[in-house]
Formats: sequence, structure tokens, C-alpha cells
Amino acid sequence: MAANTIAWDGTTYPYIPPRELKIHRKLRLHSEAAKKVEPVTYEVLRHAMWNVNLEHGNTIMKISGSPICAYGHDFNPCLLDERGDFVFFGPFLQYLSSAASSAVKWTLENRSDNPGIEDGDIFLTNDPWIGATHQSDVTVIAPIFWEGRLFCWVGNTLHQWDLGGTAPGGFNPMAADVFWEAGCIPPIKIVEKGVLRRDLEEEYIRRSRMPQLVALDLRAEISGCNVSRERILGLLKRYGAPALKGVMRKLQDDSEMAFVKRLRTIPDGTWRESAWIELAHPSDRHIYRNSLTLTKKGDKLIFSNEGTDPQAGTLNCTAVAWRGAIASMICSQMLFDQMFVVEGAYRHMEFEATPGTITCATYPAAVSAAPALTLLQTIALAGLVISKMLACSTDESLRTEVQSGMGCAMYPIAAFSGIDQRGNPCTSFFLDPVGAALAGLSWRDGVDTGGWPWDLQSTMPNVEEQEWFYPILYLWRREVANGGGAGKFRGGNPGEFAFIPHKTDRLTLFTATGHAAVPPPGLFGGLPPSTTRYTMRRGANARQLMATTHKLPARLSELQGTSEYPPPKAFNIPQTPEDAFIVAWAGAGGYGDPLERDPELIEKDLLQESVTREWVEKANGVVFDKNGRIDREASEKRRAEIRLERLGGTRRQLAALTSEHARQVAEGLLLGEENGRKVLACRKCRGILCGAEENYKKHCATAGKTMPTANPHILDPQQYIEEEVLFHEYSCPGCGLLLQTEILRRADQPLWDLQLA
Amino acid sequence: MPTPTKKKTAQRKNAAAAAASYFCGIDIGGTFTDCVVRDQAGRLTIAKALSTPDDSARGFFDALTVAAGKMGLTLDELMTRTELLLHGTTLGTNALLERKGARVGLITTAGHADALIIMRSVGRSAGLPIQQLLHVSRHRKPEPLIPRHLIREVSERVDWSGEVILPLNEEEARKAIRELLAQKVEAIGVCFLWGFLHPEHELVVKRMIQKEAPGVYVTCGHELINKPGEYERSAAVAINCFIGPLMSRYVGKIEARARELGYKRRLVIMQSSGGVATAAEVADKPAFTIGSGPAGGLTACKFLGDLLGHKNIIASDVGGTSFDVGLVHEGQPLTGSETTLNQYTFLAPHLDVISIGSGGGSIIWVDPMSRTLKVGPESSGANPGPACYGRGGKRPTVTDANLLLGYLDPDYFLGGTHKLDREKALAAMKTVGDQLGMSPIEAASAAVQIVEFQMAELMRQMTVQRGFDPRDFVVYAYGGAAGAHCVTYTRELGCKTVVVPLGSTASTWSALGVQSADLFHVYEKSELFLAPYNAERINEIYEELEERGREQLKKDGMRPDEVSLERYAEMKFRLQIHLVEVPVPAGKLTAKSLAALEKAFVEKYERLHGKGSAFTSAGVELGLLRVTARGRIRRPSLLKRPASRQNPRSGQREIYWSGLRKKVKTPIYDWTRMGAGVKLRGPAIVQMPETTVVVPPGTEGRVDAYGNFILTIVDRFAVTIKG
Repeated sequence: MAANTIAWDGTTYPYIPPRELKIHRKLRLHSEAAKKVEPVTYEVLRHAMWNVNLEHGNTIMKISGSPICAYGHDFNPCLLDERGDFVFFGPFLQYLSSAASSAVKWTLENRSDNPGIEDGDIFLTNDPWIGATHQSDVTVIAPIFWEGRLFCWVGNTLHQWDLGGTAPGGFNPMAADVFWEAGCIPPIKIVEKGVLRRDLEEEYIRRSRMPQLVALDLRAEISGCNVSRERILGLLKRYGAPALKGVMRKLQDDSEMAFVKRLRTIPDGTWRESAWIELAHPSDRHIYRNSLTLTKKGDKLIFSNEGTDPQAGTLNCTAVAWRGAIASMICSQMLFDQMFVVEGAYRHMEFEATPGTITCATYPAAVSAAPALTLLQTIALAGLVISKMLACSTDESLRTEVQSGMGCAMYPIAAFSGIDQRGNPCTSFFLDPVGAALAGLSWRDGVDTGGWPWDLQSTMPNVEEQEWFYPILYLWRREVANGGGAGKFRGGNPGEFAFIPHKTDRLTLFTATGHAAVPPPGLFGGLPPSTTRYTMRRGANARQLMATTHKLPARLSELQGTSEYPPPKAFNIPQTPEDAFIVAWAGAGGYGDPLERDPELIEKDLLQESVTREWVEKANGVVFDKNGRIDREASEKRRAEIRLERLGGTRRQLAALTSEHARQVAEGLLLGEENGRKVLACRKCRGILCGAEENYKKHCATAGKTMPTANPHILDPQQYIEEEVLFHEYSCPGCGLLLQTEILRRADQPLWDLQLA
Repeated sequence: MPTPTKKKTAQRKNAAAAAASYFCGIDIGGTFTDCVVRDQAGRLTIAKALSTPDDSARGFFDALTVAAGKMGLTLDELMTRTELLLHGTTLGTNALLERKGARVGLITTAGHADALIIMRSVGRSAGLPIQQLLHVSRHRKPEPLIPRHLIREVSERVDWSGEVILPLNEEEARKAIRELLAQKVEAIGVCFLWGFLHPEHELVVKRMIQKEAPGVYVTCGHELINKPGEYERSAAVAINCFIGPLMSRYVGKIEARARELGYKRRLVIMQSSGGVATAAEVADKPAFTIGSGPAGGLTACKFLGDLLGHKNIIASDVGGTSFDVGLVHEGQPLTGSETTLNQYTFLAPHLDVISIGSGGGSIIWVDPMSRTLKVGPESSGANPGPACYGRGGKRPTVTDANLLLGYLDPDYFLGGTHKLDREKALAAMKTVGDQLGMSPIEAASAAVQIVEFQMAELMRQMTVQRGFDPRDFVVYAYGGAAGAHCVTYTRELGCKTVVVPLGSTASTWSALGVQSADLFHVYEKSELFLAPYNAERINEIYEELEERGREQLKKDGMRPDEVSLERYAEMKFRLQIHLVEVPVPAGKLTAKSLAALEKAFVEKYERLHGKGSAFTSAGVELGLLRVTARGRIRRPSLLKRPASRQNPRSGQREIYWSGLRKKVKTPIYDWTRMGAGVKLRGPAIVQMPETTVVVPPGTEGRVDAYGNFILTIVDRFAVTIKG
């Protein structure tokens, strides 16, 4: 179906707000804004509004008291102007950003007449096609009126324990469509003129397996809005509407100006990235492609999901979630000094989503797993395409934001249920993987178990807290050496943990994740990281081993039994106290050719046991002397040999770039002009690869290797999937510098990831 | 055999001891070491000496020497007559911040060596101010306090109930110890999973270390903290070992020197909890002095509040680089249990103080992107300092703004000991004003309003967001730059009264606090109780904890009648995270008193977290029992300030009042001539030797009987001059 005939109204297709909203006449907006605000008022109001929003968030955390909120940070408060454009968004989960804005705009268009939007009203929605990332994220929005007109909105999104559906917690890996999941609620007026409507509240909480908790969280969300509203009204009384609105506009305008200023350091072009996600449901054995294209045209950024596979099983997210995923990395990489005022960027972003795909699912596709799977993966892809674009910037400080793929790019859900050590039924999932890992940057290594770039304070629970609450005993929890992708700057190492059921007879597990067969990508020659892996060690006999050997088995090799690898979507896996279950999440990608890594960094890594000698010998081409120190000279020789091996033993003579005004457009690529023609050349040898209008990969030396060569922790993908996938390295044919890496199915063409206009 | 002179000295010392009657508080700061001596009559003698970072002990005794001189005594005379020597130090904190500590090894449970390295992941951004928090590409974990190659895993395992799943493998422990010793470690930490429920494993390893290497400093996890959280416990152990050798040497040295000078009692040292502990205790557990810097100030507020009948106090400290806020509620300083320093988080009882980078040295600048005026968080620091110090600072600061507005007298800064250069301040402020089309005075006025607003916002966070109404509080303002801004931030917050405590003593406020502190210890036991509570077991635990408290205070030299014990319980709703501390009555607890406890919990929960937030149907968990043991140190009250017949007005000068947007001739008062009972109305400026108090229009000031300067806001939005 052609995009222009589609109704992007939030029913079958996701709601995509038009530039001009259609709002019913009877709702009057308060839009006067002072053109100029005096400096003190500006700074005071800016500070005050940021704090109002923080107070809004703290109120939710206080009243909710939910661990999801406090440890998972799975919420975020916001302040929007009268048309639903962002003023401030809190420093918690960034990908929730598009939800509240989308919910407000939809409500303005669809509720301003019937039932009407009035002073004291609050609306609620969890509809992923309108204003939520998935059904568990409930968005609550409140209009604030001044002088009888709608002045602005406050709102928040908070993840709920359970809103019904076929599986506790809201996610069922077997789900064929949305009807297996918690129901969708388009915006309803839950509070009318200041009064919580009892009928709607009961209708809302009735669906939940934990109605009292949902009721409490609803109060938390409403109180957050009320606190925020009271303070905004206080500011209006004291400073007047034009001043306050003037500051709101200036915040948006300033952020826009900063954003555009940054865009202007970047040439026009198109950048692409793809990644793979496995298994649409437990009996599936296939992989699906998630593609993201970023085109920069003047002051515009256009994001497209062109090339993304059709929606399938439980792998989908809606365009609301997809946009939020992209915006979260725009904030992290381009608005860090603008208090994340995302509106400034939104004014210059367009989204072209092909509907019916895993990143723009149409109703009634199953979408409840989005945040753990496709949404998270899209954040990683967004980080990569934005990085590829920023790498072309002439602004050196902006280029320090260039980073490889984040760690834990799909969340390894490991949910369990059983009878706990105190005899009560229990069901939960492990929060350890929020430890994630930060990616290798253009100037330094990633941070081992350093969390995600879109959640600023992800916090892993203590082992003791987990053992206190649940019938489990951890055998170990540690960082995984070599888990980060190798590179000039390596990716952060991920973690893994192993547990046995303790003081209970058995547990039942289910799994859901991705990047088990195929890892996420590296950047500019950086290698991919480790994959996500579940291991069930049947007959590990940990307790018996302790009794007989007086040693604690703290590694897989110290356990008895045999390993099974549960697939990334699996249901009803039994575990007895004799079996150990091990979860390892994927590391972060490497940046740049690993042969360019400074030996000093490698020695530091070895001392900290972040890498092993065997792996750095292979990946970084270093040679050790008799004392175990790196032999610089021998290493240089070895590196030259490897570069030659990449070229199959022969260097090609390339014409050398002579122009002096060449600019860097990737870690290993220069854009220059030769005889009036724009060309791409190797940064290391200055050999010309091709014209700038061509796909440089097609002019590189390349060889498809097996997946496990990319990282020592990768299993043969056939363990999980049917497709044969290969790991490609694209090297400069003149000198063997590794320019880019890519993972493709056998028949796939190399992705044109750098296409300058 | 003593020589005749020595004998004579000894006799004199004995005579002096008979009149032993001084309390000496010494607080070491970055620049100055402050000393406050209180005599039997409650008279305070204040002295300052330069701090000596190369050997802090020297500055310690220099300050005492200055004080003794002011009192007409020699140092040994003062020491001989001193009843109690109290000390606050940031030595440990600084060693940690500057990472100048010992080489430490760690022994942990097999499989869990990485807890300290992983830092629960949040170590990459814990405690960062908002600007740094938002810049993810700059996040990183600090260099490990104990690198991985100095961490050893040993087989042993205890579970959540305290049951031994695997006994300690002593062979592995011995091997681990020897390997660490071969690596030349100066200290070893021992921290096992659930070690606080079954301390034997840690203790066995400790004894093995002491046997193998008697000189090595050893700390066990359970000796510091008794609750779940292996990361925070390991971090506390690592920090304790990192600063332990240094701190134990330091307190040993001070104690020895004081003894040489004739001091016979114990040396006590300020902890982050706001109480003091003996030098011996601090040598073992120096981690509890980390972050004790602001504790002195807040303790002094509590002390003065008790005297003045102020039960609820917002303590605001405006320094050169930061603005700190703490609370006294119902007569007790507000405490927290989690401290973050250098991105490490550990559990230690401490006074809850929050700060932002707004102070006298905060730089005023124009954001190039938005072309708006900003203040801080960057500070000019001590060097070069504000432009008006004339030490090469080119960027304007809040102090420069205060000078331009006329708040500060260029010839009477720090009692006239430093001259301020108005021209330099003007030139610096002009660079900012020009970018915005404002005169330097307008820019100065705008910057001051912005910084005062930021301060009020932080105070709001400290009160409103913790469930308190700021209008129920009195503001205490101290620190070098407090006087210039305290009325405005107090008014902005909606409070009516500000106290500039003891006038110019405010500048050595921390030393007074150190001197006002009691001995204080906290004992905790983590055990889960669900209703119906097992009263017998709870009684057993409280009695055991109280016994430990009594024992420790006896060891500290306290008499039974000086000891007071208090019980608390930490309770929460199931499935919820907020722990609420509830006071528990003394004596045998019964089912009935425990039911009352639950009710008290629900009430307090709703007060802190909002009406309707109590999730009663989930059930209540009682997870931690706590006993605090306080050894009350009796000390004289304060001497009252006499009235004075002198004319307190010393002149007038032009002051720019932001509310009026113009300069007005304003009377200047000289604090040294203001006796008890003096009253004045704003606008006015009160010059004290160490600081300046700005009294804007709409404000009344008076000197109370103790020499506190008390300001009352009579008109919240006053912009015109009255009277």
C-alpha cells in the first residue's frame, strides 16, 4: 500500500502526528509567548521547570514504591507545551520519549470534542499504536489550564507489573497476535475535573493479576501529574503566562539551534545499519532483519526502516516505540548539553516507516516484547547510524560521540516461577543484565558492565538481594573476558551469572531474547562482541561437588554434567537443584581495526584480566616475548602479515589521493577530490578505493568467515537457526586496513552503509 | 630518675589537671585548621592556623597553640587542663579522592571476585551532577580501588538464612593470603557473601592473616556493615583498608603527641554519623569518617537549636565552591544510610546532606549556544579565585558580583586582612554583561538572583521532596558566603526566619560542631520478620545489640548514667522498596507493642510518601533491627553576649538592591559593636570580621542573648524601603 493512502491514525496503522493538529474549536489554546525573556526570569524558570519535572518523577517513585521504578527506572515524567511538543523529559528511561508526546497529540485530535478536554482532567492510555511502547507502559497525561485556555501538559509513563493477558507480567513468547497479550486502552478520561472516575478505575485494574499494585501505581502517576500541575500554576501566578511560555519556546528553540548547528558540520548523505533477530516463536528456527537508514538533507534527518522484514510472531514493535528508540540516541549523542530537550531535534526529524514490518507493526500484531527485543535492537542501530553520520562531521568534539554498538542489545529475559524458600509461590525475572556494557568510542574503550547509553543509571541488584527474595543460589557472577568486540578501542565486556535452585524442589524457566545466534555489529572494522547465551548444565551437581571436593564450582568447567543451549524463545524449561542455569548477555561492539590497538592498552587489559593472551594474539596481532611482555617489533611484523592475509597475499596498487583537503568520513576512510571527482580513499595508505557515489565495500578485499572467528564466545549459529550466516571483513585492498565488518546471510549483498550526497 | 626541672613541670601539670576544664574542638579544612576552645563558663576562644597537608598533625597543634596564646596559656598548660580533645578530619576523604592510599588486597567468596569491579554497573555514573550525568560518552568507572590481580577467591558459602552451605576451605585461604603478601599489600580486606550472618569464616581468615603477617592492616565486611548488599560491603571494606594504614598512623601520632603535652584523656574523632568515636575505634573503622566534613556543621546546628528551642532547622552552608543543605527535624539531624564518594557507594550511617556547585567562587558565564546567563557549577577555586582577589582570575564570580553590588566592603574583607580589587571585578563582569547588552551591575544583580534561586531550589528538594513543609523550619546560615544570600534564599523558599549562628563564630562553625558532638555507635542486625512477628526473637536481638553498645561505651570510658540507647526498626511493604525507619520502644516487646509499631510505620510511610501510598494489603516486612548507643558528653552551655552601649552604625554606602533596580544609600553596621538586644531594619549591611550579612528591604534583624543574628522576613515581596 502506498504510504500516502494509509490512515496513520492509531487504529490499524500507528498514529503519526501531522505537522498541523486538527483540534476541535471548543478547546482554546493558550499560546501567547513573550518574544524576549529577561535573563534572570529565563534562568530561574528553566531551572524551576527542570526541577518541577524531577519532583514529578520523585513523586511517582515515592508513591509507587515499585522496584521496577526505583531500580529498573522504567518510567519517565515529562512537561509538554500546549500542542504536545516536549519541553522537558526526565533523566530516566529515554526510549519512552515519543510515547507521551504522541499520546497528547492524539488526545488533542481525537478527544477535544468528545468527551472534551477540560481543566482538571487526566487521560490514560497504554495503546502502543497511540502513546505507549508496549501495553505494560501506561502513559498518563494531564492538561494544565490558565485563564480558561489550555496552557501546557504534564505526563508520565510507568511500567506496570501486570495488566492481564495470557501470561503473567504481560509477555508471552508464544503470542501469535495482540489478543494473546494485555489489552490496549486508547486514551480515556480517567480523572474528570479533578475526580478519579471510579467506574473507569475499576475497569482498568480489573484486568490485572495484581490489581492493588496497579491501583497504587495509578495513584502514583496521577499524583505525579498533580504535583507538577500545582507547581506550574504557581509559576504562572508569579511570572505570568507569556514569560513561562516564552521560556518554553526558548528552550525548544535553543535546543533546535544547537542541533542544527551540529547538523551543519555534517555533509549530506545516507548511512545504513542492519542487525538480525532470531526466532519469531519457540518452534521457529529463522532470523529476521532489522534495518535502519538515516538520510541527512540540509537541516533534516530522515529515518527509515526500509529493508526491515515483515512483522513476525513476538518480534514486533510499533512506530511509537521505534521513534522513541531513535530519539533516545539522538538525546544521548547530540543533545547531552541541551538537557535532552528532544523537541529541538524532533523539529528536524522525519520518520518513514514501512508498515507491516517488525519495527512498524500493524494492528493486531503481538508487540508486548518490544522493549526487550526489537526496540532495544533499534536503539543499538540508531546509535550506529548516528555514529556513522557524526564520523563525517568537521566538529572534532562531536566526533567524540561516535560509538560502536551498545552491549546487551537485546535483553535476555530469564523468567522463573516456583515455590520460594518460605513456601510462597513466586514468579520474577533476572535484572542482572541491566549491567549491559558501553561500546567502544572513537577515542577510548567501552565500559565493562557499564550499563546502556539510554538509561543513565542502570543498577544491577546485589546477589544477596536476589538470594534473599528468591529460592536461588548464585554460583558466580562475573564479567566475561573477551566479551567486548575487539577493535582499536574495544567494546565493554558483558557479564554472566549462574544459579541453582535453592531450598526449593524445582523452578520453571522461560526465555526470550535475541543476538543468541548472531551478535550485534561492530563499527569501522571493530569486531562484533560475544552473543547472548543461555546454558542449562544438566546434572551439574554443584552441591554434591561442594560436599566432596570442599571447593565451590565457580566456572562451567568445574561443574559436572552436560550443557544444553535453550533457544532465545523457550517455554517451560524445568530446572532441579542438580542443574545449573547460566545466562550471559552480549557484549558491546568494538571500534576500528583491532590491529591498530595500542599495545599498552592490551597490556593493561591483560593485567586487569579483561582479555586473554590467546585472544589478543589472534585478534590484535600481538606477539609476546619470553617474559610475557608484548614484543613491539615482532608484533608490528605479525600485524603486517595479518594485513597481507586479509588481501589473500597480494596488495593491489591503488592510485594515491593527492588532494590535501581530504576529510575523514569514517575511522578508515577519507573523502577527497581527484581530477574533479569526489573519491573515497584509505586513511592509512591514502589509496583511492572508488568514487564517492559508489559502495566502497564492493572495492574492498573481503572474505566471508565463520561466525565464531569474530569472537571466542560465539557458538555455531546453526545451533539455533537454519540460515547460514557469515562474518565479512572489508579491508583496504592497498594496505589491508580493516574498514568495516558485517554479518550477512550467504546470498546477501553488502549493505551500502556510507552514501555521501 | 626525674631531673628537678622535669619534676617541677610535673608538679605544675598536676596542679593544672586539678583545674582541668577545657573542651577543645579542632577541625581541619582545606585552607585553615580551626580550633574552638570552650571553658567551664561557656566562653569560646576561636583560633585559626594554616592547614599543613604534608603533615596534618602540625596544623592541629599550631591551631591549639594559637588558642592557648589567646588564653594566656602555654600549649602544655592548655593540654594538661583539657578535659576532652575532639577532632574532625577530612584526611581519609581526601586520601580517597586523591587516591593516595594503601596497596590493598581482597579475599572474597569464590565466584564473586567481580562484585567490587562491576560496581553494580551504576558505578559509571553514581553521584554525578546532572550535567555530567547527561553526557553518557564521558561516563566511566573509577580506577578500581583494588585491581583484579589483587583480589582472591576462596571456597566457602553461606546462604540467606545464615546456613553454612560450604565450610571455609582454609587451604585456599592460606594460599590466597600468601599470594597477596607476595604482592606486597599493606592491607587486606575480607568480605564474603552473607558474611554478616555468619562472621566465623571472615574471622578465621583474619586470624590467619594476623598470624602470617602481624603488620598488615585487616578489615572484615561484617565488622563494618551488617546488612545485605555485597557490593556496598566490599566497597566499605576496600575504602577502609585503603585509608586504614594512613588514618591509624595519623590518629596514633596525634594521640601520642597530645599525651606528651600532658593530655590524659582520650582523643575522639568526628564520624559521618555526626557522633564522635575514640581514636582506637577510628583506627579500626576509618571508613566511617568518610564524608564527615559537613557533619560538624549540622551537629553545631542541632546543639544551638537545642539551646534556642528550634526543633526544625534547615542548615545551609555557603562555601567557596559548594552549597550544602542538611536538616534537623524534631531535634534530630536527618540521617541516611548510603554514601557515594568518587562514584563508589557504600553503606554507612551518615548525616543526610546534599550539595550543588553554587558558592562564592562559582563562575558567571554566558552559554554560547543559547546566549543566556549561567552561574556555576564551575568554580574559580582557591586559585586563581574571584577576579577581585587580584590573583589573575579573569572570569567573574559570585563574590565579584557581591562586591559590585556593594554587599562587600573592598577594604574590610575577612576583617580587613585581604583587600578586594573592585576594578578587576568590574572588568571581569563587563565581559559577561557586554555579551548580553547589560551593564556590569545589571549582570551582577542577575547572577546573584540566579544563584540564590538555585540555592532555594536545593533547599526545596531537601524538604518538600522528603515530605517536609519548609514553612515549619528555621533556616541557619553559615559558611563564608552565607550572609550575602541567606535572606533571599530563605524568602524564596517561603520561610520566615534565618539565624546567622553566633555571629562571626559562623566561620568556625564546624569546629564548634565537632566540639558539641557525643560519642555515638550504631549496631544493626538484618533478619526478616513477617506478621505475626516473633517477639521473642526480636527481643533477643535488641538485647544483644544493646549489650554490645553498652560494652563499647564502657570501653570508651563512659559511665552508665551517660549512656543512652535507642532502638529502631526498618520496615517496608512487601513488593515495595521504600524502607522506613521507625523508633521502637525500650523494654520487652509484646505482640501488642509490635502491632503498634506496624501502625506507626504506616503513618510515617504516608507522611513521607504521600497520602494513599501505603500498600497495606501487601503485608509488612520488618527487615533490620538497629540500636544506637550514645555516650552523652556533659559540657558547659554557652556564655551570653553582653549588651553594648556603643553605636553599632559605622557609616553608609551605596548598595544596589535588585528589587528596586537601583543603588540606594544604605546604613552599615559593625557587628563587633552590636551587643545583645540590638535591632535593625533592612535595608542594611552588617559587617562581621569574617563575613557580611545583607539585610534587604522588608527584613528585620536582631541580636539575641547568645549573640546570634536573627533575621525575620516581614514582607515577602518587599521592593520598597520602609521606615
